[in-house]
Amino acid sequence: MAQEETTGSIFTDIDDGGSGEEINRWQRTARLWRETLSEHWGLLTDELSVKLSMLMVAFFMVVAVIAPYITENPPLQRQYESDAEIIILKWAEPSLLGADSGYLLGTTAEGFDIFSQLVYGTRAALLVGLIAAVFTAGIGTMVGLVAGYYGGKIDDALMRIVDFLYGMPMLPTVIILVALLGPSLWNIIFALIILQWRSTARVIRSQALSLRERPFVKAAEVAGAGDWHIISRHLAPNVLPMSFLYGSFAIAWAILTEAGVSFIGLGDPNTVSWGTMLQASRAYSALQFGAWWWFVPPGICIGLLVISGFLIGRGYEEITNPKLQ
Amino acid sequence: MGKASFVVRRSLQLVVTFWAVGTVLFGLFRLMPGDPTSYIVSSSMTPEARQAIIASYGLNEPMHIQYIKFLQNIVVLDFGQSFHSNAPVSEVIATYLPNTLVLMLTAFVLAYAAGITLGVLSGWYRGSRFERTAVIVALVARSVPTFYVGLLVLWIFGAGFGVIPMSGMTSAGTANLSFFAMITSVDFLQHLAAPALVLAYYFMGYPLLIMRSSMLEVLSEDFIDVCRAKGLKERTIMFKHAARNALLPIVTAAAIALGYAVGGSVLIETVFAWPGIGREMVRAVLRRDFPVAQGTFMVLAATIIILNFIADLAYGYLDPRVTYD
Amino acid sequence: MSLLEVEDLEVYYETEQGPAQAVDGVSFELEEGENLGIVGESGCGKTTLAKSIIGILPDAGYINAGSINFKGDDLTEMNGAQRRRLKWEEISMIAQSAMNSLDPVYTIREQIVEAIETHRPGTGRVESNEIVTEMFELVGLDPERADDYPHQFSGGMRQRAMIAMSLALDPSLVLADEPTTALDVIMQDQILKRISQIQDEINSSMLVITHDVSVVAETCDRVIVMYAGQIAEEGPVEDIFNNPYHPYSIGLKRAFPNIRMENQDLLSIAGYPPELIDPPEGCRFAERCPMATDRCREEVPSEHEMGDLRTYCHYAEDIDQELRPYADDPETWENTVAAKNAGAQAGDD
Repeated sequence: MAQEETTGSIFTDIDDGGSGEEINRWQRTARLWRETLSEHWGLLTDELSVKLSMLMVAFFMVVAVIAPYITENPPLQRQYESDAEIIILKWAEPSLLGADSGYLLGTTAEGFDIFSQLVYGTRAALLVGLIAAVFTAGIGTMVGLVAGYYGGKIDDALMRIVDFLYGMPMLPTVIILVALLGPSLWNIIFALIILQWRSTARVIRSQALSLRERPFVKAAEVAGAGDWHIISRHLAPNVLPMSFLYGSFAIAWAILTEAGVSFIGLGDPNTVSWGTMLQASRAYSALQFGAWWWFVPPGICIGLLVISGFLIGRGYEEITNPKLQ
Repeated sequence: MGKASFVVRRSLQLVVTFWAVGTVLFGLFRLMPGDPTSYIVSSSMTPEARQAIIASYGLNEPMHIQYIKFLQNIVVLDFGQSFHSNAPVSEVIATYLPNTLVLMLTAFVLAYAAGITLGVLSGWYRGSRFERTAVIVALVARSVPTFYVGLLVLWIFGAGFGVIPMSGMTSAGTANLSFFAMITSVDFLQHLAAPALVLAYYFMGYPLLIMRSSMLEVLSEDFIDVCRAKGLKERTIMFKHAARNALLPIVTAAAIALGYAVGGSVLIETVFAWPGIGREMVRAVLRRDFPVAQGTFMVLAATIIILNFIADLAYGYLDPRVTYD
Repeated sequence: MSLLEVEDLEVYYETEQGPAQAVDGVSFELEEGENLGIVGESGCGKTTLAKSIIGILPDAGYINAGSINFKGDDLTEMNGAQRRRLKWEEISMIAQSAMNSLDPVYTIREQIVEAIETHRPGTGRVESNEIVTEMFELVGLDPERADDYPHQFSGGMRQRAMIAMSLALDPSLVLADEPTTALDVIMQDQILKRISQIQDEINSSMLVITHDVSVVAETCDRVIVMYAGQIAEEGPVEDIFNNPYHPYSIGLKRAFPNIRMENQDLLSIAGYPPELIDPPEGCRFAERCPMATDRCREEVPSEHEMGDLRTYCHYAEDIDQELRPYADDPETWENTVAAKNAGAQAGDD
């Protein structure tokens, strides 16, 4: 991939030589990518459901950032000492329902402020969703482009890895990896990324295969452009819509999977997520005691954020594939 | 390439994938930090007793010998003995796998019958309110985690109205029936209803959306006009011609989805305390019972790999146009 | 009584901007055993006309006014079941595209038998298969291959299979919508010859819809020239091709290669057909007509009988006397192109 510096490109004769050249190339590449994105952005925000979804994601982002200003109680600070024997009696009822407790959604059986946990849980969800999405789309796109562009043995080898990953069940694999690596948010994200890039890679590869045969790529090849040049400047901008699409679906899947792993009891004990909230509520039988304010809100938040991801992805899919409209 | 050589090549790929999954699994459990034997031997044992136990699990042999034995054992479906109960892992699997399959297949049949029908109808009546509602329902179904819907159902119908059992597969005291007698008992069906319906609701969205877009594509083809000109009944055109053609992509999708559904059994089984293989895997992971975790994981992965394989082959029989090149 | 009488038919499509008048006041008759061609550019309403006669208009399309009388019964008045009984049994079609007009997942035999069994429930397997064999022989296909799937046939064979299917129930009327467009020239010729030959044998009527004037010349007795949802001119094939009166017919004729006049230059009619959502007043062709006057742009032309022809042009008589050499000259049309371009440029500034 480092060949770029040694081989000429069809743009180099226009570019100045010397130290400025490097910057120029990157600027050109960046501009190409930016143009593709801004064009699609315009089309995307035309759709009402997509607009609402983006507002929803923006809302959660704001909540995540200003969490400490929304609630003063840290999510994992006991509000009072609780005695394991009489846990249920120590619950603070939610002030939302008229109780005089000072906690909007009451407290958990362990004495944590539920509303605060809900607010801080946004951070975990977005962290998992966005990081996993960026890496999923990034790795998948890179692998797909390389496999599709080079073809032959490289393609074969990479696609066998993808096939193998397709043989792994998502949630069980993440569970085992997290159990072995230790329960932390970062290990969950890591395990997610390891599996999730498979679908992006497969789709991008087939796109790259067909793009590779297109006249403008052939022309660049004849003009002596290097591999990396062709990949970054001719192929990548054209597959970008597809990576973006898979990225937005990856947000949704990542959040769902994190919630599932946490719910099973392999969540990060030092971080609050909506999944760990649901796990705790189940562990303390909130269900049987009808403490719905503990377990209903986190699920709704998961649902809202995930459906936003799906709707953005779907809206985008309809732009790139008009047949679906 | 002919059909026969496609099947041979695809079968070889199947074997290689199995080998890869097994190898990775072996590596994961052996090369991770920490000593797996520390979970089976207690510190109060004498060194001799400890050695004896380690030897009985074959954990004292060199890594490559262990690896070869591991592969040999997989071929004869021998996954060793549980650290926890000392029962052979294959016995554990034989106990729990049928329970998972009953639950998954029930949910799957319900989901695909409903999803495909709704998908056909929403494609046929495109632009109607029915179509819009169906698409939204499908998206919501896929966005809210199954285990959360399960929690809500348990809370409302179990704890609230008391019309469904809170956990398990059978009521206490009915345990000694044969498998067939058990799954046909009313008690079992009462336990099955809630988890199967929750799962079916979740699975339904996928076939619905695929079927809808596939229908839209088929309906724009000329032969649909010819069918109408032939004077065929609307229902004949909708199901015999349009849906039959639109069904092709969904067969592959369904086989693959069923594989992942079994892999995803983990969550719903945990919520409803359904004694299935997914829940058993989670419990094995949490109590560090590696032989059981390994064996159950292998079974989940095998389901996916085999169903992917079947999907590939089925496609050729359903679509006469497929050529294997 | 004619086999088919279409009277003042108006077929509209619902669109977001209002109804598009795809077929607007079309009347014609088709006698038994006669072949009628309908020619015009794509979007002139000819396919819509065909679809409304067969009864397969898409959901957005509806018949706004007029009647379609088939053997004396008005098709527009019939309910779904009555209509369905007539389909294929009485009115069948040869669909536009040879590639996609057969269902890919059933064999040709299954598809032909399906038509037979739908309309003649008592028919046995043996009898149905006899019909399939007979039809395959009629169109020049090997009956052995009736159990093939469509994708196993070449384009020309598929079109023959389509024709075999359309004739299976011995219909009184066959609508052929662009029967040869998807085929290469040699195959086109073979198929057209076969169609004419079959016509002679079975004496059913045919409505041939095409943009290709030569197809009509080869297969039809009479022809209707359609423009923007309306009839421009109608009459016997010979007359329309040798001595048309409507400027559009003249232009259209000169837009296709003619075997008999090899060294003739082909011309193209400048511009595009008008929008059908809010069509222009007066003659719809005025915008592109080299001979148009203010009268053309304001007043809808009425019917002029010119010998055996019906012509909808204010100046039909003048064309007969003095304008013909002018209208027949490619330069006239080229000048119009130049004038339009100039006009367009002026408009831009």
